[in-house]
Amino acid sequence: MMRKLRFLLALWLGKCARLALRVLKRNATYFPGVVALKICPDFLGQVGKPENIIAVTGTNGKTTVSNLIADVLTDRGHKVLSNRLGSNVAAGIATTLLSGSSLSGKARYKTAVLEIDERSSKRIYPYLKPKLLVITNLFRDSIMRNAHPEYIASFIEQAVPRETKLVLNADDLISSRIAPENKRVYFAVDRMDTDVVECVNLINDLQICPICSGELVYDYRRYHHIGRARCRDCDFKSPEPDYLGTDVDTAAMTMTVTDKQGGRAVYPLLSDSVFNIYNVVTVAAALHEFGLSHEEIAGSLRRTKIVETRYNARQAGNVRVVMQMSKDKNALAGSRAFDYISQLPGEKEIILMMNCMEDQKKWSENTTWLYDCDFEFLAREGITRIVCTGPRAKDYYLRLLIAGVPEEKLRCTMSELDAPDLLAYNPGESVCLFYGTDALDLVYKVQAKIIRCAEEAAAK
Amino acid sequence: MTIEILFPEVCNLYGDLMNVEYLRRAVPEAEVVKTSLKARPRFLDGDVSLVYISSMTERAQLLARDALMPHLDALKAKIEDGMPVLATGNAMELFIREIVDEGGGATPMLGLFDLVARRAMERRYNGLYLGKFEDMDIVGFKSQFSHAFGGEDVPALFETVRGAGRNPEEKREGIRCKNFMATYVLGPLLILNPPFARYMLRLIGAGDRPPAFEKAAMDAYELRLAEFKDAKRGFTYG
Repeated sequence: MMRKLRFLLALWLGKCARLALRVLKRNATYFPGVVALKICPDFLGQVGKPENIIAVTGTNGKTTVSNLIADVLTDRGHKVLSNRLGSNVAAGIATTLLSGSSLSGKARYKTAVLEIDERSSKRIYPYLKPKLLVITNLFRDSIMRNAHPEYIASFIEQAVPRETKLVLNADDLISSRIAPENKRVYFAVDRMDTDVVECVNLINDLQICPICSGELVYDYRRYHHIGRARCRDCDFKSPEPDYLGTDVDTAAMTMTVTDKQGGRAVYPLLSDSVFNIYNVVTVAAALHEFGLSHEEIAGSLRRTKIVETRYNARQAGNVRVVMQMSKDKNALAGSRAFDYISQLPGEKEIILMMNCMEDQKKWSENTTWLYDCDFEFLAREGITRIVCTGPRAKDYYLRLLIAGVPEEKLRCTMSELDAPDLLAYNPGESVCLFYGTDALDLVYKVQAKIIRCAEEAAAK
Repeated sequence: MTIEILFPEVCNLYGDLMNVEYLRRAVPEAEVVKTSLKARPRFLDGDVSLVYISSMTERAQLLARDALMPHLDALKAKIEDGMPVLATGNAMELFIREIVDEGGGATPMLGLFDLVARRAMERRYNGLYLGKFEDMDIVGFKSQFSHAFGGEDVPALFETVRGAGRNPEEKREGIRCKNFMATYVLGPLLILNPPFARYMLRLIGAGDRPPAFEKAAMDAYELRLAEFKDAKRGFTYG
């Protein structure tokens, strides 16, 4: 009886907190769950859960994949509860579930799509039994929080419910080996023109066979440890995909997805980046396992727009201003962003301001990630100038010299708002601003100044 | 001049390997040998100017230990003879007596130095590091699941000014035995500390050659040093 009363108190106070925050136009996606979990530590166990939960986790792509899954289901007429606007840790999931429950704590939704932080697995899965758990991939992430991918894999491995079916990336030999006793399907993207065999990245987290420590040989490699591999010394190899993306056409922005039962459809690509190609095949696999047909999924995806907060571009004066988010202290995110931007057509000038401003306020950023991140991509032809700015500008400057960027291409200023003054704004080029996630106000001020400078340069 | 990197296929976390690349930029003629787990270490059969081993996963610690165990006596003799060795991050734990897991058993390591690491996989220690090496200031970062205890007679590599030494209560940091140097400080230690890089270059026989991009490295070092000496700045990430 006391347990039930405590739960109801947690639920109602959580709902009140959520209402109050919304009235105040504040973010109400985390704190209500904190309140609920504080009052009732097993709140997640007691609150009503939708019958069908699709959980999405992994280092990269989980936000996009969970949003796309929710969008397609909504487009197909499902009423979907999701945490798309909020936090993916236990308090965020508690907030989402309390918002989707009645005053008595019963679930008001049949279906939920929940993005879940990998590190929070142990706090969430004991209470939540997803029908499907999608793991996009596992890479090296923040050194301080996530240590290394094996560590994160162990978090998911220890917590994932036995009855949950896994949707796994066959091209990722780290995440694809999680919880081998669980039912599973695999997705993959077939060989592409841009694939390599040898790793060209600094981060390569799986170089030996996890069974016998023998040498892993790649038939093809997309980047880092993603690709199709086999052990030279034993029979260990990448699993066969149940869903395979083929015929990737970035001009037509389409890809074919074929499943093992012979079903196939042409899917729209939502962006030409390899990550987003994976995102589409991941969504196709998850939703087909959920019960939708390829035609239904592909049709709904055609009506869905990807909310691309990490990349956008606009014209200003005679240049194209490109905004590229790159998660702070995340070498993998930096490497992928540098690779993508450096291969855009035409000449580019770049401002690097991916500093972790929150760390700088109290501590000093742990910059070891700079030496895991492929700054070498910024030494490619076509990049004419790079301005390093912010509290760690001098670290970027040194890193770029070590990466092989000629000194004459480099500029350095500690003041972010002075950085746009150091660019040339040559007609026809792109000006790319790489920024982190925790100082967006400052980022927008720098962006505004870039636009102003570009327009002034064009007026001259 | 030969620099040997031990087991880079598993010992490669946190940008540590760039320490060797940084030395090589100053000594382009240096040969860098990458010795895999299944290969015979080069230092057993010839003169090596530096043996380097970097941070790794907990599983890789066992693989690296097993790869070195058959050569333990030879390794001991080489260290006694003054062979330069640099181990960063948890590579230091390869050379101590054992790792004891919280709520679990003890894992024997190579046992060259009488220290015990206590490991708690649920609690990661993250901190800045400020210490002294001879008359040099050393700056760096720590991010680890374990701390080392004991080893009262084992000489330290650094004397801690701020941050954790071998453990949060200890001023002595790392291990120094002749030219064997091991530290929990991880990542690009030599790049972050150009004076220490200069020392290492001398030690491995490069004479008075300056570290690569020394001016830029010193600019970054001096800024970081000023930040780390700022008493108002937090030292343990919370």
